[in-house]
Amino acid sequence: MDALFAGAQGRIPLETLQAYKEMLGFVDGPLWIQYLKYMKSIFTWDLGPTIMLFPLPVSELLSVKLPWTLGLAGMSTVICVMIGLIIGTFAAYNRDGLVDRFMPAFWAFVGAMPQPVTALFLFFVLALSWKWFPLSYGANPDLDPGWTVEYVSSVLHHAVLPILCMIIGGIGAWIFNMRNAMINVLGEDYITMARAKGLSNRRIMANYAARNALLPVVTAVSMQIGFVMAGAIFIETVFNYPGVGLLLFKALAARDYPTMQACFLMIVLFVLVFNFIADLLNLWLDPRLRK
Amino acid sequence: MNSPLLKIRNLCVDYVTDWGNARAVNNVDLEIYPGETVGLAGESGCGKSTLAFAIANLHCAPALITGGEILFEGMDVLKMSDDELRSFRWAKASMVFQSAMNALNPVITIGEQMIDVVLAHEDVTRAEAKARAIKSLELVDIHASRMESYPHQLSGGMRQRVVIAIALILRPKLIIMDEPTTALDVVVEREIMNQLYDLKKEFGFAILFISHDLALMGEITDRIGVMYGGKMIELGASTDLITSPKHPYTRGLLKSFPTIFGPKTRLEGIPGNPLNLLEVPNGCYFQSRCTECVDQCISQIPALKRLSGDAPRMVACHLID
Amino acid sequence: MHINQYFKFLRRFYRGNLAASIGSIIVATMILLSVFAGSIAENDPNKRVARGHQPPSAELLLGSTRSGKDVLSQVLHGGKISLLVAFSAAMITTVIAVAVGISAGYFGGRVDEILMSFTNIVLVFPQLPLLIIIAAFVGQVGPIVIALIIGLSSWAWGARVIRSQTMAIRNKEFIIAAEVMGESKLRIMFMEILPNLISIVVGGAIGTCIYALMAEAGLEFLGLGDPTIITWGTMLFWAQSNSAFIVGAWWDMVVPGTAIAIFGGGLALLNMSIDQLSNPKLKTGGYIKTWRRMKSDIEARRTEA
Repeated sequence: MDALFAGAQGRIPLETLQAYKEMLGFVDGPLWIQYLKYMKSIFTWDLGPTIMLFPLPVSELLSVKLPWTLGLAGMSTVICVMIGLIIGTFAAYNRDGLVDRFMPAFWAFVGAMPQPVTALFLFFVLALSWKWFPLSYGANPDLDPGWTVEYVSSVLHHAVLPILCMIIGGIGAWIFNMRNAMINVLGEDYITMARAKGLSNRRIMANYAARNALLPVVTAVSMQIGFVMAGAIFIETVFNYPGVGLLLFKALAARDYPTMQACFLMIVLFVLVFNFIADLLNLWLDPRLRK
Repeated sequence: MNSPLLKIRNLCVDYVTDWGNARAVNNVDLEIYPGETVGLAGESGCGKSTLAFAIANLHCAPALITGGEILFEGMDVLKMSDDELRSFRWAKASMVFQSAMNALNPVITIGEQMIDVVLAHEDVTRAEAKARAIKSLELVDIHASRMESYPHQLSGGMRQRVVIAIALILRPKLIIMDEPTTALDVVVEREIMNQLYDLKKEFGFAILFISHDLALMGEITDRIGVMYGGKMIELGASTDLITSPKHPYTRGLLKSFPTIFGPKTRLEGIPGNPLNLLEVPNGCYFQSRCTECVDQCISQIPALKRLSGDAPRMVACHLID
Repeated sequence: MHINQYFKFLRRFYRGNLAASIGSIIVATMILLSVFAGSIAENDPNKRVARGHQPPSAELLLGSTRSGKDVLSQVLHGGKISLLVAFSAAMITTVIAVAVGISAGYFGGRVDEILMSFTNIVLVFPQLPLLIIIAAFVGQVGPIVIALIIGLSSWAWGARVIRSQTMAIRNKEFIIAAEVMGESKLRIMFMEILPNLISIVVGGAIGTCIYALMAEAGLEFLGLGDPTIITWGTMLFWAQSNSAFIVGAWWDMVVPGTAIAIFGGGLALLNMSIDQLSNPKLKTGGYIKTWRRMKSDIEARRTEA
């Protein structure tokens, strides 16, 4: 940024330059004053104006984009969890069956495919060639936003591909962790006792096995949240999905530092909240942690 | 003589490994009569627990029941369909596991663990199941308020009593107890044993009592069977077996326990290491550790033969023939 | 370790373990391919050899990019750098994680507190966004710098895991014995404790390698790498800028993507096999098949009787 100003030095009078600097939120002075001022701005939610869409304040821009990303991340996590748990449990129960042998390995490769590539692949095949799904945006731009059936279904329609991408990227971890956790749990004495008690298989799997296997899985996957957010950045870019990820990308391109910082801040907050939820979940699931 | 409650014949249980099959239970015969208490003794790895698990057909990979029959009241457990097996388990024969902490599901309450077994077997309302659970807990001197506790909130002795309560809840005919007091200190062990005596007197169930503590078994059991390397090597009435053991291994076992009374004598153990089931010898399994081994022992496996006399004693040893 | 022990270990590792074998083959092949890229690739990856966006043909096995360069040569040469970045980043991360983790776990007390607070701070930041921001601030960066930033930002998680494992071992008797015998602290840490942590350290290193590979590709895809250097990531970047998919030149994009996927997958398979080593229950093995077979035989016989 300084470079920009230095370049402009000769052509703009000094006072104007100073005025610009203030408007854009630049603080002169030692680093720690800058830091304090920034902290203050976070708490008052006054993150200053963006540079590329001046004078739109960053906070407004963020609050518009945030729900989209949250929706993506939330939905894909929920689906990942459900499918991952079921497949993982199945693989553990039928050891060395087809599912057990191929699933984890298969997902190792698919998960290692860089997210931009899968995103683009899906984009190409499903959106461009087969025209099953829309090419971009969160919803049909002609419709007015609101809680109408039309709009909501349009939102869902547009969300399918991005969510599919996120699931492909993330589900491997869930399947793998669940399978391993299940295998460990199935070897425990209380499972044998449950079988000796003559309980139905379904009850054993749900109440005895899965509930215990979930504990390490929740911990392991809550660590992955950062990765999920990163994926969101790529996916939103490819699908032109109006979320925080796309915003970050555009800010990068425009060297819009305030926006970048704010986006980053948002992502960090998001991760923290998710970790917090995971901790709460752990407390709820495992009575040994309560006191 | 009434017919036996449980009749095990020629039972063989193998563990399938990458290095071969290990036969953990090797052609074992055993009968348990209604109301009788039979003990099963032997060192770790001799096959006692494997035998116990086989009775309710509880084995999973890599264990496999490869032969024999297990007749409970005439029906072969190994031939039962899944549904028959599920209604048989716990209602006719229940189990008490060695470590209660491991046997109880850590994430659901004690009460829930008792209620679910009642509901799985009988068509009663939840309230009734709960009432039965509370009654069962009372039998082992545990207060009803403990229904809402989780396993980690109870002491070791209480947990073991809870497990016994769960085992009793459907009034089974046979309770298999796999080292029920091994994990407890002697004081708690005494409490549990006393409790067991009372319960047995009241309800009259048969017990298969598995332990490596021969002295403890001498108290509670009517008959004792000693296993080594998966084979039954001696079987007889408890007091007889303990006062006059015939098989060298049984004698060695008894000599390993110090007595409280009498002069202090030097303890003798049994030399050598437990048998490697993947490399079994041709003759008697005990030959490498037996102090009285003769030529025949090395070449021929001794069969479990009945001794002459009134008391029904069976020993598998060439020296006794 | 003696050579014999080494071979025995390898045999046990690969025995019946398809995942390990495939994973190792993939990794080894790709490393060899990139090391010998110069001899294998026919064309200079930077030279224009054909018209833009030619589909794969007999001449150019994997087609040509927008500017007419040979995709195959590019992928081979690019592999060199991508793999190098991945390995160096993994090494940096592992070294820091081990140093921090073992020290925190072994010394405990004040040292542990300080190191852990520091680690926790680093841990909070989600890594890829952090990388993006750092890279953006620094400007367009070459692969070396990318390896460095990845390395310096990803060690926190590993450090934590190593620390908890170290603490578990720390109070075991052989450590106390070593201390009493007067072994120097450094020696204890590296000669006694570290060997027991090998499986998680190696597992973590491989995991970081996969992550670094993807992170590097991701950064370059976003335009933060040096586009003049050819790596798998920059290939993706160029393909994207030239709208490869939209004009139908899928090979431009799919080839580097697949290369990353295959290598990453190979590493993941290796990782899984190492997991299975330390926890044998997780193995998918020969004995289960035998078991199944025996079981169905016995059940058939029983229902007949």
